[in-house]
Amino acid sequence: MSKTAFIVEKNEGYTVVRLEGELDFTHCKIFEEAIDGISNNANAHVLINCESVGTIPKDWLRGILRINLNLKKDGKVLKLFHVNPALMNYFKKEGIDTTFKIAKDLRDALTDLGLAPKRTLDTEFINPFLTATIHVLKVQAETDAKPGPISVKKASDQHSGDVSGIIGIISETFNGSVVISFPEATFLKVISKMLGEEYTKIDKDIIDGAGELTNMIFGQAKIVLNEKGYGIKTAIPSVVSGKNHIMSAMTKGPKVVVPFESSAGNFFVEICLSN
Amino acid sequence: MFDVKTKVLVVDDMLTMRKIVTKILKDLGFTDISEAQDGQEAWEKTQAGNFGLIISDWNMPNSTGLDFLKRVRADSKLSKTPFLLVTAEAEGHQVAEAIKSGVDQYVVKPFSKDSLQSKLESAYKKCSARLGT
Repeated sequence: MSKTAFIVEKNEGYTVVRLEGELDFTHCKIFEEAIDGISNNANAHVLINCESVGTIPKDWLRGILRINLNLKKDGKVLKLFHVNPALMNYFKKEGIDTTFKIAKDLRDALTDLGLAPKRTLDTEFINPFLTATIHVLKVQAETDAKPGPISVKKASDQHSGDVSGIIGIISETFNGSVVISFPEATFLKVISKMLGEEYTKIDKDIIDGAGELTNMIFGQAKIVLNEKGYGIKTAIPSVVSGKNHIMSAMTKGPKVVVPFESSAGNFFVEICLSN
Repeated sequence: MFDVKTKVLVVDDMLTMRKIVTKILKDLGFTDISEAQDGQEAWEKTQAGNFGLIISDWNMPNSTGLDFLKRVRADSKLSKTPFLLVTAEAEGHQVAEAIKSGVDQYVVKPFSKDSLQSKLESAYKKCSARLGT
């Protein structure tokens, strides 16, 4: 049999089915049985991610139509999302472009259903980043770090650093960013510990260390948050350097700043979240 | 454990991380270590060199470590090369995907010298069993 043609991800109140690979007849039967099983056993809407398909074979369409009708009878909804132009043209050609409820993306689909989880910049969201910061500096740089009081960042607040790593926090239902920003002296001590040799100036050989630390902190926090259903996607960090530069978050939501004291000196972490 | 004369390829888009892995390998006695910045450069180097061990980051621009692993496993000359993936993201589905693609060990960042050494030993045992050596 060819590669699996769909991936099922069950969530509270809804199930996401991602179509991908070869939508052949054999997989169609398995698909219908799987969705029937979910519909019969859980009070869940079904959201089909069509991002990876440019067409849907007729036997699959018949299966999806039947599932759609069955869900309707039970007061549940089937929605398609990430329907690309090629697939939409195909639906039009087949005269079924108004048969399905179609959403732009998962966030829109969940919002329509009143299921979009509202994420807040609370301790559940912030603490994994602080724990990860402590852990990453301890393991990778033999540096003990202790967070100070968390404060909400006001528009007038300006926290400057000399080297910063920034990474976007992207999910289907919210966006955000995390920044770790070091004064030069702290960064040089941390990097010297990480690399096992002393560095006295910031140069191209070590500057991406800020990005790597950000990446590790993000990765550790992502594991914890995704276990709670946040659905944060993989991202690649960037580095900003310059004496006393001021970082500005990419998103417009609330921001918190957490100052850290460490055996290498002070630094701060800024976290932003926007629904 | 791998012979310290083994030719090792370290792949990471971050220079700092390449330095960290290379330093640990040198501390462990390895002497023949090459570096590549992404999966594409790594692929080109593996075509030219005879590497006995690959340690690659996963999350890289252009060609990821997983793409590189899949190319290595699909190549008849390289398919049995011991391969460790290094990543900051060790979610269950990612580990499963790496195992399915034929990774020998999975190293989660941050890591210490001891933990990388332990992963190398474990990968060596797995490869030895696989190769019947």
